[in-house]
Amino acid sequence: MDGLISFFASHHAIRAETVLKRHGHAARLVPGPRELSPNCGVALRFEFARRDEVLPLLAIHRVRIDGVHEYRPRTDGWEAAPR
Amino acid sequence: MIYFDNAATSWPKPPSVAAAIREQMAGAGGNPGRSGHRLSIAAARVVEETREAVARLFHIDNPSRVAFTTNATHALNVALYGLIRPGDRVVTTSVEHNSVMRPLRHLETTGVCVEVVPCDANGSIDVGRLEDRLASGARLLVATHASNVAGTILPIGEMAAVARRHGARIVVDAAQTAGTMPIHVAALGIDVLAFTGHKGLFGPTGTGGLYVREGLELPPLVRGGTGSDSAHEVQPDFMPDALESGTLNVAGIAGLGAGVRFLIDVGVEAVQAHERALTTRCVEGLRAMEGIAVYGPADPVARCGIVSFSVAGASPSEVGLLLDESFGILARTGLHCAPAAHRTLGTFPTGTVRFGFGWFNTAAEVDAAIDAVRQIASWARTPSNARLRNAQWTA
Ligand SMILES: Cc1ncc(COP(=O)(O)O)c(C=O)c1O
Repeated sequence: MDGLISFFASHHAIRAETVLKRHGHAARLVPGPRELSPNCGVALRFEFARRDEVLPLLAIHRVRIDGVHEYRPRTDGWEAAPR
Repeated sequence: MIYFDNAATSWPKPPSVAAAIREQMAGAGGNPGRSGHRLSIAAARVVEETREAVARLFHIDNPSRVAFTTNATHALNVALYGLIRPGDRVVTTSVEHNSVMRPLRHLETTGVCVEVVPCDANGSIDVGRLEDRLASGARLLVATHASNVAGTILPIGEMAAVARRHGARIVVDAAQTAGTMPIHVAALGIDVLAFTGHKGLFGPTGTGGLYVREGLELPPLVRGGTGSDSAHEVQPDFMPDALESGTLNVAGIAGLGAGVRFLIDVGVEAVQAHERALTTRCVEGLRAMEGIAVYGPADPVARCGIVSFSVAGASPSEVGLLLDESFGILARTGLHCAPAAHRTLGTFPTGTVRFGFGWFNTAAEVDAAIDAVRQIASWARTPSNARLRNAQWTA
């Protein structure tokens, strides 16, 4: 899973995981990389290629997100994806 | 032993409640939302599962609108101190519990005008009369969904409609009705719903919470760490974090979740029908008896699972002690933290004996209690009766 969503609060991270799994998306909670999100200890990994389905789904369920990031092996780190 | 004090706290709980608490302590013991490791995530998951279950029970679209508190009292304090400002007019009813009346009487000393709409001697409210009080610019209506003394159910949907028509918000105390009556927050037009976890929802004591309607901003009563927005020194303004400072009662919330899931499986409608059958049986049995006064509405549909009564010639505490010691029946006696409600019923300051029925009670238990009360009433008709005197001495 090469996508990562950061949150303002773990409440929303857990809800995001529930919503995505319920709709058949891969999702896994991980410790949030500090450099991406100082707001909340947990982040959610997902399939970045499916972001056009995933992000509206979270919006419909009123899950608040902080940022969306993509893992790029070449730079060996997380980069902010355009929203 | 017959436990008829479910209106104070429900007992027994479904076995899944203690099991969920044990499981949380053994396997999900991190601090929810504070760290990113697996035990922290597991604890946060327990909290969110309970939040979802509570949202489902009250038909709340967005679980984020539910915040956990330590009980209904805490939830009501958050709502009242958050929504009321000096100079506001607040309308309430004369059957409120002290968890509403004491904050209001305190707010009164800070320049808030509190108007109490009297209910009749059965605890019923005249919505026309309520509307008169709301019409002159009230900010808020706060009302119990059902009286914890008489059991009278208030027409919350109608009351909310009247409040909305006059630009007032409505805070509902669902301590007695959460889990014992269907509650659809949007259909009823409720702005804030305060509930306790340890009565109809079958959770442990020390749990409760509130629902805040989407779009209504409720400032917190307590500020502090939330595990979110940690880079900032000001309190987050989003739900539920805004209202959940400090580490939650995760073990209790785990139990509450199991209780609510049990209720959803059984069906609140089934619980209501069962309690109504017991209540009707009890009211009919007691009303047929000499020397017994039964309070509350005659129509069983207008009553939750509560029956308050008194026995001529014996004080409520004497009756309560005899019920416990001679018959193994556990009831609550006295004023039930609701002096205003007892004034309304005409039972202040003596109080009443209260039976609070629950899902695990049976018709046979009600019949046994009716026989016990008949016996106590006959003892009470003999003024020199030694049993009553003994009860008085040991009370
Ligand atoms: C009508 C009513 N409101 C509020 C409460 C307070 O509940 P808690 O003690 O759980 O805060 C109770 C029960 O004690 C009640 O019956």
